Amino acid sequence: MRELAKSALKVFEKAGIDFGDIRTEERKSTTIRIANEQLQALSSVVRKGFSVRAFRRGAWGYSSGTSLTLDSVKHAAEAAARIARANSTKGLPRASLKNIKPMKKNLKPAVKIDPANIGLDEKTELAMTVSRAQRTDPKVASTFAIYGEWDYAFEVANTVGTDVSWREMRTRIGGQAVAAEGGKRDFAYDFTDGTGGYEIVKAVDPNEMGKTIAREAIELLTAKKPPSGMMTVITDPDISGLLAHEVMGHASEGDEITKRRSFLTDIVGKKVGSPLVTMYDDGTYPAAHGTIPFDCEGTPGHKTKIIDRGIYAGYMHSLETSGTLKMPLTGNGRAENYSRRVWVRMTNTYFAPGDDKFDEIVEETKDGLLTHKSISGMEDPVGGGFQAVALMGHLVKNGEIGPAVRGMTLTGKALEILKSVDMASREFKLSGGFCGKGEEDYVPVSSGGPYMRSKIIVGGG
Amino acid sequence: MTLLTLADDAVKKALAAGAQAAEAFAMTYRTKSVYIEQDVPKVAEERTEAGIGLKVAVGKRVAFTSASLEGQKDVRATIATAMKAVKMVPEDPDFPGFTSFRVMGKVEKTHDAKTAETPVEELVEMALELTAAGKVRKDVTVPKGIFRVQDYELRVANSEGAEGSHRGTLVFLYFTAKSGTRARPGEGIIKSLGVSLSQQDFQAIGKRLGARSVENLEASALREKIAGTVVMDPLDLGEMLIQTVGSAVNAEDVRRKRSPWQDKKGQKVASEGLNIADMPRLPAGLCSCAVDDEGNPTADRPLVADGILRDFVHDHYNAALLGGKGGNAFRRAVATVEGAYARPAQCSISNLVVEPGTQSLDEIIGSVQKGVYIEKLAAPEVNQFSGAFALEVRNAAIIEKGELRDHVKYALLIGNMFDGLKNVAATGRELRPSHGFLTATGCCYLPPMAFNGFELVGQK
Repeated sequence: MRELAKSALKVFEKAGIDFGDIRTEERKSTTIRIANEQLQALSSVVRKGFSVRAFRRGAWGYSSGTSLTLDSVKHAAEAAARIARANSTKGLPRASLKNIKPMKKNLKPAVKIDPANIGLDEKTELAMTVSRAQRTDPKVASTFAIYGEWDYAFEVANTVGTDVSWREMRTRIGGQAVAAEGGKRDFAYDFTDGTGGYEIVKAVDPNEMGKTIAREAIELLTAKKPPSGMMTVITDPDISGLLAHEVMGHASEGDEITKRRSFLTDIVGKKVGSPLVTMYDDGTYPAAHGTIPFDCEGTPGHKTKIIDRGIYAGYMHSLETSGTLKMPLTGNGRAENYSRRVWVRMTNTYFAPGDDKFDEIVEETKDGLLTHKSISGMEDPVGGGFQAVALMGHLVKNGEIGPAVRGMTLTGKALEILKSVDMASREFKLSGGFCGKGEEDYVPVSSGGPYMRSKIIVGGG
Repeated sequence: MTLLTLADDAVKKALAAGAQAAEAFAMTYRTKSVYIEQDVPKVAEERTEAGIGLKVAVGKRVAFTSASLEGQKDVRATIATAMKAVKMVPEDPDFPGFTSFRVMGKVEKTHDAKTAETPVEELVEMALELTAAGKVRKDVTVPKGIFRVQDYELRVANSEGAEGSHRGTLVFLYFTAKSGTRARPGEGIIKSLGVSLSQQDFQAIGKRLGARSVENLEASALREKIAGTVVMDPLDLGEMLIQTVGSAVNAEDVRRKRSPWQDKKGQKVASEGLNIADMPRLPAGLCSCAVDDEGNPTADRPLVADGILRDFVHDHYNAALLGGKGGNAFRRAVATVEGAYARPAQCSISNLVVEPGTQSLDEIIGSVQKGVYIEKLAAPEVNQFSGAFALEVRNAAIIEKGELRDHVKYALLIGNMFDGLKNVAATGRELRPSHGFLTATGCCYLPPMAFNGFELVGQK
């Protein structure tokens, strides 16, 4: 790496650009897929490559490749500098990079059990157990389970003098069942993941996970259509997390602010929610799926307060948005991999827990809906609209959890929802996943929060 | 030896290393992208990548490994990893071995040399042309745009003597426009795909983008429920069909009892007159190719004929188990081929084509007494197993007595896609491509369509 970095940085020094960097990556992963209690696929992937960036007067030139040779890197750095120079004549608005001090560090991952030391047979059996355990009833038509491990090594060097390297390891176990009866068919899922080693999946009871998935898939076959309209909704940590991530999170990404595309532009210090609402993006959260030692620009992971007891506190930043807006760096410059650009991206985004017990929230709800797990969510940084699809839910009547209802869409204006939050639980959970920006550029993240009671529009089913 | 012929070499070396059968897929691609931010080209880039995916079998044990490719050392490492893995996995009693076809020839117009050779500086100018056209009013900006061109080539070979090659180009555009003020914004989003730059009318795309942001700004909140005919633009509808029909006709989902159409061959699944086919030989199709990603020859295949389910799409594995014909195994997506070599081939639609009708979009709208025209949804996500959906609309207009009236927002489109297919009121004549999520294989070519049975429900 040292020689490759020297080669790129030497090109940048001569090219008359303002800033340049090089990132090398080695991405190893193993995935085991079990379908209907049979191995569907075992796949191991190794992707090695580099990305070079040149910045000049507000414009970026990027180039990348998989040939890690001095010639390839030199050629790519020249291309990046040429593109940046050409683009910098296109009347770009003022933009500047944060002044940073050079940093030199080499971090090892916090792993208790290195997955490399566990045999493929044990990992296969773990996934097989999740698949097998779903066969609790003839209504279970199809079972699926997946085991995954990711071991990524990064090195970043730049023209300021930064030279950092680190590894990120993640593991995941999960499953999905399809249940069918008569003409009805539906599905349920569960998974556990995080940043760390095999200890994350080892802590899971695969039999319990499989049985839970099957029970929920079967329950959905007889679930009723959910009510529709504006109603009291107790969002579970998954749906609370989608509200944090999709609407408030994406709209708090610094590049959406510099573009003035976000509905949260110029809103620091203003009220955006009830006093029960506090929200963070936290790249340092122990063992969570979105935790990062450094971002892809070599900035250390950071805990950023976005909402403080209902008052909007601040945005997430990369080198460029931090410099342009003159705000602190937050370590959110991330890329899907070496062949993708760096954007401002979230890490672990969540609402902080409250003081209520979950049981108390239910007991104090006369007529409402309790959501259970998410299927999807959609960002809307411009309009601040919330759209999330829940896997299923339960009616809540006179303080008791009632019958199950089918999956539903939850929608409304995020700020109106947050201002209506009147209870938040002590119980708290983060769920991992991969987040895209627009339609692409997927990075590992997590989102979550407490059970939160608010007013939301419900539709579908 | 080129990087692509390393596929053939990898097969030989895997056999020498102890594999009883092997299949290799090698791919190279060059990507040029422009990212527009706040009306100007913020990022431009050129990228190259090569990779290999290798499947080895020893008896009934099968493992897949892949690696980015620089030269022979990566091939050796990939084989070593595969041979280590294959000893530790359980047997697959149904493993049918690999295919043995030698596929020659190609589908017309999948690769456009002019598109492949266009320098990134010219792409910047095209992106700027679209951006300028999008500024249809003073208050309209183009805060975000992604414009990407890819030139890719692949080769597949295996130990049974199968071989095939394919080359293609892909063009992808995703732009957003914003109008109004921060307190009262309107947003327009537009997407366009193709295999050639000449298919893209940057002026027209830009103008429509800007118009959508203005229409969204000026739309009024829907306060009622509309249960008439719903006319849908192809782009988001195509994504809904990929999720539902694409899964329902997928032999892997049929075999695993995930498909709601698993036992419906010969039965009515759609309205009379509706024809849907899988057409990998479609000239200039996004997913067109003579050979699939595991070496089988492709063939056009009617799936739904006159509303009756006729067939499913099969990869080699499921064809062997269910008795169909292979040719539908894919790894590459149509919005980007990035990382395709790192995925094992999976059973998938190629170009799912809804046969066009005879009416233009205007004629379809003109025939609707009471209904709504849906141009853009927030996220067209459907439950692939049940077909249920409830989706927020971004651009929609009320239809009254055959004419488009007020634009509306804050509304949910609610319905069931499988039921909707049985209640098709009209199919238009202009085919347009649509795709699923970024790494999803296959795509859909379809015209605007009209459905009965869906509802648009106001959120206010």
